[in-house]
Amino acid sequence: MLKSMIRFRSAFAELLFPALCLALVCGCDRPGTPEQPAKPGTKPIVIGVSLMNLASEFIGMINQSIEARAKELGVQLIVTDAQRSPEKQVQQVEGFIARKVDAIILNPCEVEASSPAVTKALAAGIPIINVNSETRTAPTAFVGSRDEESARIAMDYIATRLNGHGNVLMMQGFLGQAAQIKRDQGAREVLKSRPGLKLLADQTAEWDRAKAISLMENWIQAHGTNIQAVFAQNDEMGMGALLALEQAKLKEKVIVVSVDAISDALQAVKAGRLDATVFQDARGQGSTAVDTALSILRKQPFSPQVFIPFQLVTRTNISNYTK
Amino acid sequence: MGWLLEICDITKSFSGVPVLNGVSLSLQAGEIHALVGENGAGKSTLMKVVAGLHQPDAGELRLDGNPTRFRSPHEALLAGVAMIHQELLPFLDLTVAENIFMGIEPVSGPGWIDRPALHRKTVELLDRLGLKIPPDRRMRELRVAEMQTVEILKALAHNARLIIMDEPTSALTDREAGALFAILNDLRQRGASIIYISHKLEEVFRLADRVTILRDGCHVATHPIGGITTEALISLMVGRPLANRPRSAPGRAAPPILSVRNLALGRRFNNVSFDLAPGEVLGIAGLMGAGRSSLLSALYGLDPADSGQISIGGRALKISSPRNALDAGIGLVTEDRKVSGFIPLFGPRQNMTLAALRRWCRFGWIDQAAESAVADEQIRLFGIRASGRDQPVLRLSGGNQQKVVLARSMLAGPGVLLLDEPTRGIDIAAKEEVHRIVSDLARNGTAILLVSSELPELLSLSHRLLVMCEGRITGTLDPRTTTQEEILTLAMPG
Amino acid sequence: MSPKPATPKSRTVLRLLERFGLVIVLLIIGTALTLLQPQFLTSANLLNVARQISINGILAVGVTYVLLTGGVDLSLGSIVALTGVVAATFAHPGEWPVLVPIALGILSGACCGALNGLVITRGRIAPFIVTLGMMTLARGLALLLSNGRPVSNLGTGFLAVGGDFLGFPVQILILLAIAGASRLFLSNMRLGRHIFAVGGNEEASRAAGLNVAGIKTFAYTMSGGLAGLAGVMLAARITTGQPNAGVAYELDAIAAAVIGGTSLSGGVGGIGGTLLGALLMGVINNGLDLLNVSSYYQQIIKGIIIIGAVWLDRRQRN
Repeated sequence: MLKSMIRFRSAFAELLFPALCLALVCGCDRPGTPEQPAKPGTKPIVIGVSLMNLASEFIGMINQSIEARAKELGVQLIVTDAQRSPEKQVQQVEGFIARKVDAIILNPCEVEASSPAVTKALAAGIPIINVNSETRTAPTAFVGSRDEESARIAMDYIATRLNGHGNVLMMQGFLGQAAQIKRDQGAREVLKSRPGLKLLADQTAEWDRAKAISLMENWIQAHGTNIQAVFAQNDEMGMGALLALEQAKLKEKVIVVSVDAISDALQAVKAGRLDATVFQDARGQGSTAVDTALSILRKQPFSPQVFIPFQLVTRTNISNYTK
Repeated sequence: MGWLLEICDITKSFSGVPVLNGVSLSLQAGEIHALVGENGAGKSTLMKVVAGLHQPDAGELRLDGNPTRFRSPHEALLAGVAMIHQELLPFLDLTVAENIFMGIEPVSGPGWIDRPALHRKTVELLDRLGLKIPPDRRMRELRVAEMQTVEILKALAHNARLIIMDEPTSALTDREAGALFAILNDLRQRGASIIYISHKLEEVFRLADRVTILRDGCHVATHPIGGITTEALISLMVGRPLANRPRSAPGRAAPPILSVRNLALGRRFNNVSFDLAPGEVLGIAGLMGAGRSSLLSALYGLDPADSGQISIGGRALKISSPRNALDAGIGLVTEDRKVSGFIPLFGPRQNMTLAALRRWCRFGWIDQAAESAVADEQIRLFGIRASGRDQPVLRLSGGNQQKVVLARSMLAGPGVLLLDEPTRGIDIAAKEEVHRIVSDLARNGTAILLVSSELPELLSLSHRLLVMCEGRITGTLDPRTTTQEEILTLAMPG
Repeated sequence: MSPKPATPKSRTVLRLLERFGLVIVLLIIGTALTLLQPQFLTSANLLNVARQISINGILAVGVTYVLLTGGVDLSLGSIVALTGVVAATFAHPGEWPVLVPIALGILSGACCGALNGLVITRGRIAPFIVTLGMMTLARGLALLLSNGRPVSNLGTGFLAVGGDFLGFPVQILILLAIAGASRLFLSNMRLGRHIFAVGGNEEASRAAGLNVAGIKTFAYTMSGGLAGLAGVMLAARITTGQPNAGVAYELDAIAAAVIGGTSLSGGVGGIGGTLLGALLMGVINNGLDLLNVSSYYQQIIKGIIIIGAVWLDRRQRN
């Protein structure tokens, strides 16, 4: 499997420049059309998809599940990547409206700045489904998870492991981003209800593994053996904390829990290094978004807010999440 | 009557080295006061103190009898003291009018520039001095002399009562210099005072009311111009009498080391052919823009020629970069030291070895001891005055900077040395030394192509003299028999 | 005369004084931190600081070459990501000897740098624009090669680059070796001297027969190659090749060099100052974490200290 991946990558390297040129020519539009023979007499349903950032592994997973589900159902997709730019995202949605797509799936970059995309789609009478993140303007339907819930699950796990008593450190995401704010909220709710848990310190490592290693190294200096648990708001930072603790030979004494269930984290849970991660069901979100879009188009009943639940992943249930 | 400006006991040091030592000087309204002295005598520093660019360590300035302190050139300008530097720094892409009124533009309403008023005021100023420069022409399109005039107008626009000029004629032709003197005389009659720094004593005698001599940071003497002779002035400046220069011997009849045939570059010069023999000094005379500097640049590969042939020692070469020229044994001392001559923060050592560093390297490593030894030797040989081989060349006087550049060219071991205005802006003693160096080099077999705007220099150093006009060679003269009139006739277009 | 200076400044005493400015700032901050949090001045913590500055330190040394020529390199962070991914791709356990990923990482970085240099000198385009383009291009390549995913499962031999050797972090040993070699190179080798010359006066360097384009291209290649090394070190430290890593690292590197006295307009500066600059930034980061200063205040304090350090340093020189 790995070998084949490598061959795949080096093949990529050889095709690098042609591929780049192609990307330039094609712009951002990637028609992910499955060669599905359209049923005679009916026009295939077309859904425009605008994603926040395809460079993110998690968004990539959502995209894959959207594409897989669309292929199953014979829906045609136009997938665009806003590359974290809300402005680009609004332009992409305007493009969809101009091309008269049947529905739009929006993975918003930003709560406020991406709102005009929703407003414009609704004004044009095109149903729009937000996936994963919210916008200020309410869309036709929302499919996602409650970020607070993920932090709650992680903190509860720490509380249980520590029997309700101990010192906890929290690594924050990039300050001011929706995920950071909500995960912070969720974690603090648990801390409030569990007076035995003490938050020694909290600091941002900006979702970044290298920064998390440095932060953990500094915390080890400042707090040493007083640390009983670390909650990192994403797996990258959790992995960073883990590496620093292992290097200082303190991992045996400290519980590390993080959120997202990226493959590195799952591997670490399987190996008994990371205590737990929280699984956000990207595939569930992606496929449910496509299902919801079709329900709306077929005038079937649908739920305007679908919450895909988070799941705690520990060594005991890891086999459900790794192949 | 009272003094316009009194300079009292000014002392100033730079990083521990005293540059001015209790200098005093008083200036009347409506006089042109020449300030002379070797470079490094402290003329420019003294004037920069007056103009607010430097703060004195001790002593004071009195303007109209009141103690004054200028913390910036801007403050000085507001008080009516303007300095026009040797190297002009105009806003090249703004118009003449905009340059003149920079900072004091006539405005209307909430800060809009009142363009009609700007134009009108500029025309008034131009008319006052009887000048014909279009007010809305961009500075970039002006000649140096015109730029200088604009600087003077700028000072007048600020109602300057005292204008300091540092070597104003160094980049001017004689005719342009004459026009400048007319303007200065006019200003004097209107009651303005002018401090005039110059190395050209002829100008001093022609223009000034009084002259002050500085030497080594000290005030030596102040005389009414009528009460002193050229010889006396020079001996006060250098502290010793000037020896008569022997006229150099004619070049030997040797096969040419450098042969140039039909060399041409665009509109700069064309059909240039000449031979240069080892040990020969070939002078090139001509007015500004005659193509002399362009010719040297082309020979050195800085601005390669379009067509024609260059041969060294009988072998035709293609010279398309300075590296090619250096490898072929051609060295150049450029006209503009600061722009293309030296690395300002390098000391004499690093500057001198730059073009031939390979010679003191093994496997790319610099042999610092050997390099320093060579540097010290060259410093002694060229008589370079610096606090050490690593004192930034930026802080040396113009003459010493020039000697560093000369030393660098010579260390590259050229058979042919191209000199472009080698004594421009350097003091008399340093000039003498450069002349001696040039003669010595020629005696030791170096072929020298010398471009200079000073005819006495050309006449005393050259074995043969070419005259260029509008990109062409218009004559070859024998410096022993020719006259200045003959040279000028060939150099003037038409 | 004592050994030759890395800067073309005149006297050794003067040079020491210049250096002194930054050393004083470091001493003041170090003393304050020790008083507030005794844990700061322990060998374990100082090793921590050393480990944490090594990647920025290497990048800062690299960008010093470019700054000395009067240029700038904004592509460093993206090159770190690209080379980290390249190295990680060849660092899976049991596939290639450990030198292969390391060499390929450095090489790919050097290629990016060389490309920067060639486009800047041949195309006569401002370094700011060219390296800005490379910043995007290299990031794109990193994402393309990795499919936008972290490349993990790396061999222990490769990960040793991020570990310790005889009690010392390998990374800091690499930084010291690179910095030492660069210092010697810049002050004692012909090409090093030429780099200062080009930054000091490009026109005069050309007139002195120097191959200005070649010298500049060399500086960018050096900068890129060292960014490649930093990418390898980062991948070993975080045990993955991250296509999203290294964002804005170039700014920290440039800040370190400038704090250390390297001029943005070229010709002035040196490796010693750059190292001190990187050290100052590392100490501030570490100290603020130790003191448990809130994240919001941390950013404000860092900004003030960076500007203040440069201000103090420049004052010291006048």
